[in-house]
Order: sequence, then structure tokens, then C-alpha cells
Amino acid sequence: MDIFNGLLLGFSTATTLSNFAYCFAGVLLGTAVGVLPGLGPIATISMLLPFTFGLPVDTALIMLAGIFYGSQYGGSTTAILMNLPGEASSVVTTLDGHQMAKQGKAGRALAAAAIGSFFAGTVGTLFIVIAAPLLASLALTFGPAEYFSLIMLGLITSMVLTSGSLLTAFGMALFGITLGMIGTDINTGAARYTFGSPYLLDGLDFVVVATGIFGLGDVLMNLENERLRVVGVAPVSSLFPTAEDWRRMSAPILRGTGIGVLLGVLPGAGVLLASFSAYALEKKISKHPEQFGKGAIEGVAAPEAANNAAAQTCFIPMLTLGLPGTATMALMIGALVVQGVQPGPEILSQQPALFWGLVVSMWLGNLMLLFLNLPLVGMWAKLISVPYHFLFPTICVFMAIGVYSINNSVFDVYMMALFGVLGYFFKRMGAEPAPLILAMILGPMAEEYLRRTLLISHGDASVFFTSPLSLGTLVVAALLLLSIVSPRFRKVREEGLQEVD
Amino acid sequence: MKLSQDVLLGLFFVVFGVVSVSVAMSYPFGTSGRMGPGYFPVIISSLLVLTGLLVLFRSKFVQPEILPAIRWKPLLLIPGAVVIFGLAVETLGLPLAILLLTVLTAATSIKFHIGWKAVAGSLAFAALCSVVFIELLGLPIPIVGSWLRVLGF
Repeated sequence: MDIFNGLLLGFSTATTLSNFAYCFAGVLLGTAVGVLPGLGPIATISMLLPFTFGLPVDTALIMLAGIFYGSQYGGSTTAILMNLPGEASSVVTTLDGHQMAKQGKAGRALAAAAIGSFFAGTVGTLFIVIAAPLLASLALTFGPAEYFSLIMLGLITSMVLTSGSLLTAFGMALFGITLGMIGTDINTGAARYTFGSPYLLDGLDFVVVATGIFGLGDVLMNLENERLRVVGVAPVSSLFPTAEDWRRMSAPILRGTGIGVLLGVLPGAGVLLASFSAYALEKKISKHPEQFGKGAIEGVAAPEAANNAAAQTCFIPMLTLGLPGTATMALMIGALVVQGVQPGPEILSQQPALFWGLVVSMWLGNLMLLFLNLPLVGMWAKLISVPYHFLFPTICVFMAIGVYSINNSVFDVYMMALFGVLGYFFKRMGAEPAPLILAMILGPMAEEYLRRTLLISHGDASVFFTSPLSLGTLVVAALLLLSIVSPRFRKVREEGLQEVD
Repeated sequence: MKLSQDVLLGLFFVVFGVVSVSVAMSYPFGTSGRMGPGYFPVIISSLLVLTGLLVLFRSKFVQPEILPAIRWKPLLLIPGAVVIFGLAVETLGLPLAILLLTVLTAATSIKFHIGWKAVAGSLAFAALCSVVFIELLGLPIPIVGSWLRVLGF
């Protein structure tokens, strides 16, 4: 199917009344939950997941994508107005965005973020339209060795790009792989780590673990310093960027978009890397680097554009290879599997309406966000100031109902409670859970492809180095690991990834 | 050895790793060309033990961060409330399970006090959620649980 027909199909899928309505509902709900302080995209998606269960698969995916953009965007609003990043990639937005808000320029910062995000979203979607079919047809030629190497690259990037030490991240990833091995071994049918429990035969539900660790764990963490959580919300001023603002932010938006589009495809943590690199680049080429961190509009526009462009293009490996690049995409895969869809290169040829409908609705969702956010920003600012003691019981109820209704299983509810405590423990021990989450999905895939590769080669591991594509991927992964040893990169990583909490 | 972040995390990795290695040893290992169910788990969990040991080793060189005091009340009460929700959702039904979860979690807040507003608010919230999730979204969760049905509700 050529691109033009694909887009036509996509438009006809995305603009049916119900798909359009659910896209809107997703964007609206996602923003509403995403602006709440302390709720990043992962917690938001897992909380809102039950809203999609009763829907047909294309509608569900469109709504989920809407929730994802909405929550990501809502996070920027909180970052600017309250100096609270909902997730690591909005940390950069707080640097200059909140400074602008303090100087009474909150409206202009929000406008820069919204305009930058919309432009980047549009370019990102176009990039998916062109690149995804190419990559999907390339992916059909991939053997198990290539897949295995790509998975290794994803795991290593996620470890390198997380805050805290590499060793800790490595341990977290191994722990995640172990959790992923629970259940029936697909090759031999043997039950592994089930301890005789029938509930564990299908393995731990990934969504349950993510909800526990990111949702409940964050609630426990926030209650720790409940007294400290009283934070002021900056008042929102005029939303219109001045002519000077336009002049200063247009080039950064273009550059940020370019960085984001390219880095988003990288498996591992492309979104995070994109916003940090875009910020670093602007600071480096600016004639006034001293203004950065003190309210430079370039420092809001560029990373927000990069962030959003990467949030679009990180769908590419998920949809065309079935490999999640970020913890959020891993959650999307979890949601798709609940719906009975296995993402991978066949999705384009076998479910073109699903693929193209999603792509078109991404652009529509971004358009909606632009119109939702700017005029309604006052409403979101009010929502931010809902006190936490009203918020967290509601969050707990939504998560409990959501987790229960995935499999109608009370066991899953208990597991969520357990992983909530574990999530709290990890945070307290300075261990970022993102590699764990990604490894839980990627680990079993890695085992599967490793087995297949070595079965074909009769146990000879040299195939990973004789296929040029596999070799290239492994070299990139090795370079990434080496780069962390270099003192210069290490310094940048430590400065960049410090969590401003 | 002083308790620090690294010590606790290292111990966690080691203990978890040792348990999973010993379980994995009981599965057939196989060969590289034909891996048994134990092959991958043994490798991964041995690496986990090793990583845990390295984290423990590292703790000797890093200035231990002072662990802040833990607020036990939310840490015990919130997961406890979630477990109670799990016990109640099929036996008492969704509205009552929500009510229990709301009240018990809210009780962990330093702002918590019981008044008519709080009671009315949590009742209304439980009713609203039940309507949204069961009636509007059609999730198959009982409104009246199995125990109450036995009693004739």
C-alpha cells in the first residue's frame, strides 16, 4: 500500500465519529490527569487503561495514544507552573520554563511549549508516515540475530540514560528480566518460578507491575514528604508570544524537532536523550548562554519540540519491530496485548487501518492539544492546585479498579500492592525503575531470539558478529557503554540526568 | 557494615539472585544450541548475584547517604488498603470496596479528619465510580458481592 492510500485509509479511520470522539476524550483525560503533580505518563496511562477495555482495538489504541500525548503535555504545564517535572524528560523544561513563570511570563512559556510541540508533532507524524513502512519492510528481512542485537541496544541505552549509577541500572534490568521469566516457558512448556501457583503460569502482568511501581510507589513516595508538597502555582499571564519571542524561538523549534525526530527512533530512552540534547545544543550555539537557566525562551521551545517529536517517533520501533523504546511504549505494548494485538512488522500489512488510523489520529491529537491547552490553560492551572490529600485516594481507587479489570483477577490487585512497596523501596535506594520495566518486556524477547539464533547456528555465537546489521548494532551498544566510562560524557550525564525533584 | 542505600540494594539483588539461581538450577539446563528452560535463568540470575555483590563492594567506598526516617503509616496502610480492596471487590461488591479503599488511604494523610463532609464525599465518590465503571464502561465487576447476596441483598 502506498503512502497516499495509507493516509486516505488513516483519515477515514481516524475521523469516524467514535474514533474522533475517543481521541478527543483521550487527549482531554490524559491532560487532566497528566497536569496533576506527581503523575507522569506511565502512571496516567495505567490509571486510565480501563477506559479503553470495552473499545474496539483501533479506537482503544487511538485513545491510548491521545492519553499519552495529553499526559506528556500536561506534564509540561506542571513543570512550567510548579517546577515539578512529571517525568525525567520534563526536567529540562523546568529549568527555563519555571524561571519564565517566576518572571510573570508563564503564558508565553506555555505558548512556546505548545507551539513547539505542535510543530514537532506534525513533523514527527510525517516522519512516521515515510519511515515506518520502510523500516517495517526492512524488519521483515531481520533474522533472530538482528532482533537480539537490537534488544541488547535498547536495554543498554535505557541503562546508560537513566539517572544514578550504571551498576544499579544493570541490576535493575537483570531483576526486570528475572520477573519477565516468571510463567510458562514458551519453548519447552516448563513452568518457571511459579512456585506451584496457577496465577503465575501466564506470568506477571506487565501493566500490574508498572502500575504498582510507578503509580502506587509514587503515591507512597509523595506521602513521605506530605508536608513539603505545598508548592505554589505561578499565575498565568498573557499567552501571546511577542514578535521577539517568535524570532527567538523559531530556529530552536526547528533544531529541536530535528533532534527529536532522529533520537526518538533510538531504542532505549530516545525521548529523554532528545530533550537533553536539544537543550544542550541551544545553550552551546546561543550568543547568550548565560541567559539559560534564567528564563530563556529557547530553553523551553527547543526541548519541548524535541520531546514531542521523539514522543511521536518512538512509536516507530514499537509498531514496526514490536520493540518498545521507552517504559511508556512498553506499557502501550502491554495494552495492545490485552487487546489481542501483537505489534511487529506484520501490523502494517495485516492491520493497515489500525496503523494508518493511529498515525493520522496522532496528528489530530496534537492539533487538539494546541486548541485545548492554550485557551483552557486557566482551567488546568486550577486543576493543578487540587490538594494532594484529595488526589491520592482517587488515584489509588482508579489504579485498583484498573488493575483488577485487566484479568478480573484479585491476585493482580495484591501484586500491585506488593510492587508498590517495591517501587517505594527502589526510589529510596536511589534506583530508577525505568530499566526494570523495559527489561521485563525485552528480557523474554531476548531469550526467545537468542534461542532461535543459536538453534539455527547449532550453538555458534559468532553469527551475531557475521551479520553486518547485527554487528553494527552491537558496536553502537558497545560504544554507548564505553562512552559512559569517558569522564566528559560522565559529567554531562550526571548534570543532565540529575532529577530535580 | 553501616546500612546505606547501596548495602540495602546490594543485599536485595544478592538475596533475590541467590533464590532465583537455586530455583533455576532445578530446571534442565540444555546446551547453547538447544537451550533448556534453565539456561537463560541461570545466566541472568548469576549475573544478578554478581551485580549485587559489586553494589555491596561499592558501598565501602561511597560515603553513605543518611537514610531519612520512614513514615510507616502510609507505607503499611496504603498497600494494606489495596489488599483489603482486593478482598472486598468480589465479596462485598465494587461500591463498598471503593468506599473502604478511599477511607483507609485518606486516613494516612496528615490532613485526615472524619466529618460529615468527608463521609458524604467518599459515599458520593464510591457511587460515582461504580456508575462510571460498571454502567458506562461495562466492566464486569459485581455491584453487590457474593457475601451480601448470600445474606439476601
